[in-house]
Amino acid sequence: MQDEESLVRRAKELDQQAFAQLYEEHFDRIYRYVALKIGDRTEAEDVTQQVFLNALQSISSFKWKGVPFAAWLFRIAHNQVVDYLRKKKRKPVTLFDESRVVHSDSNPQQMVERSMDVEELVSATKRLTEAQQEVISLRFAGGLPIAEIARIMGRSEGAVKALQHSAIVALRKVLVVRVDEEVQRI
Amino acid sequence: MKKSREFDNILDECLERLLAQGETVEQCLQSFPGYAEELRPLLETALATKKASAIQPLPEFREKARYQFYAALQDLERKRSRSFFSWQPRWVVAVAIILVLFLAGGGTVAGATGSMPDEPLYPVKLATEQVRVALTTSSLGKAELYAKLAEKRVHEIIRMADEDKSEQIEKTAQRLDDYLGKIADLAANQKAADAVAMAPMLEKAPAAPREEEAEIAPLPAEEPEPMAPPAAGEEAGAKEEEAAEEPVKEAPRAREALTAEKALGAQRAPTAREAQAKEAEKARIVAERRAELKATVVRYAMEHPAQLRALLQRVSPETRQALLRAISDSENGYESIIRSLEEP
Repeated sequence: MQDEESLVRRAKELDQQAFAQLYEEHFDRIYRYVALKIGDRTEAEDVTQQVFLNALQSISSFKWKGVPFAAWLFRIAHNQVVDYLRKKKRKPVTLFDESRVVHSDSNPQQMVERSMDVEELVSATKRLTEAQQEVISLRFAGGLPIAEIARIMGRSEGAVKALQHSAIVALRKVLVVRVDEEVQRI
Repeated sequence: MKKSREFDNILDECLERLLAQGETVEQCLQSFPGYAEELRPLLETALATKKASAIQPLPEFREKARYQFYAALQDLERKRSRSFFSWQPRWVVAVAIILVLFLAGGGTVAGATGSMPDEPLYPVKLATEQVRVALTTSSLGKAELYAKLAEKRVHEIIRMADEDKSEQIEKTAQRLDDYLGKIADLAANQKAADAVAMAPMLEKAPAAPREEEAEIAPLPAEEPEPMAPPAAGEEAGAKEEEAAEEPVKEAPRAREALTAEKALGAQRAPTAREAQAKEAEKARIVAERRAELKATVVRYAMEHPAQLRALLQRVSPETRQALLRAISDSENGYESIIRSLEEP
């Protein structure tokens, strides 16, 4: 944490090495978070770029209060995604084409584990509540621990753990139903 | 409730061990045998979710985003350190920017020269062009450079139309429109600077004295008449055209210099004539360059919209719309530049 504080302090002074380190550390997971929330690869690329440009513009206002840099960056990403979805006024679409074939030679439980790809995950998360979607995106795509998610969402850790639990249960149901439908179709 | 909270905690602990520490589902279940039946399907779903969400950005996007980010970082840094650089010679700034670009991209800068708007190195090409603009001192020079860049953008639009990339056409056309607006502004400001540069000669006032002449000049016996303040356009023009700047700044001293000349007699006359000749030469060169710029712009005004119009028949309806906007913008843009360049 001490190292990160020093890194962020240097980044505030526009130290290129510090900024480069922060950028490389967080780029992939911010992209994954945005892609899962938006559900469109090209749009996710544009929004991800904008997240880092916004972070660059506002780094001078960042005040170190023990909150990890990632929490601040994901907050920017969250706002950027909300802004994007509001402007587009449309439901997120899928990342890839839907022609993917699910194998029929497994039982539904194995199929949930094996067959889910990002397109299915995006589609499944749309059936969750907004708060559940946020937890899944931050936890699995963003790779954040519960404590940081709680800070970003402004909720208690207990509340976020409960949301995490209900979100996984809901995802499970959606995916099992989907697999059942596929099995019946085949 | 309590049991539910306890399960939430156990689930989260298992997830942490699975996701962050790389443990297996079985290892977690062994730690909580009493919850194994309930935990197993959730942990399997969580693992599948983790696996599905582990998408990676495309390499070309990663590269493009990195360049844009570092270009923005350079830009911010430059703005912040402007107070430092403002007293540095211009070549120091140039060397610094070029060094940074080369350190960031190595041979990439050279490789970016021919890149198209849909290619990863295109942002590098744009950044390099902006460096060239920043390093061009005079407003006329900047206008000439923007005209060259405008032609490049038109060629890029043609390429993008061949590939039916309407979004790239719109973005590139926006840049073209931006450049044409800048040329018109620069031409208008530069014209004002010319007017200021020519004014002392038209009034047959002597050119600005050298520093030592001003120092030895005695104060005029009577209070000098107040000079009329320069117009806003003149001030703007004077800032951007260094060649025309001198007479504006030194104008209040001109009257003193005239008195000094009278006091010093005929020996000052050759210096004034030399300065006058120098100013006339400057004005002639500027006028020639303006005429050349105008000829280029008039040619582009005919060629560029025509080149874009020729594509309309063979593109998709979406690309056609983008092209029509580009044609309209370019026609208006060039018309505006020509108006700015025309003599009053």
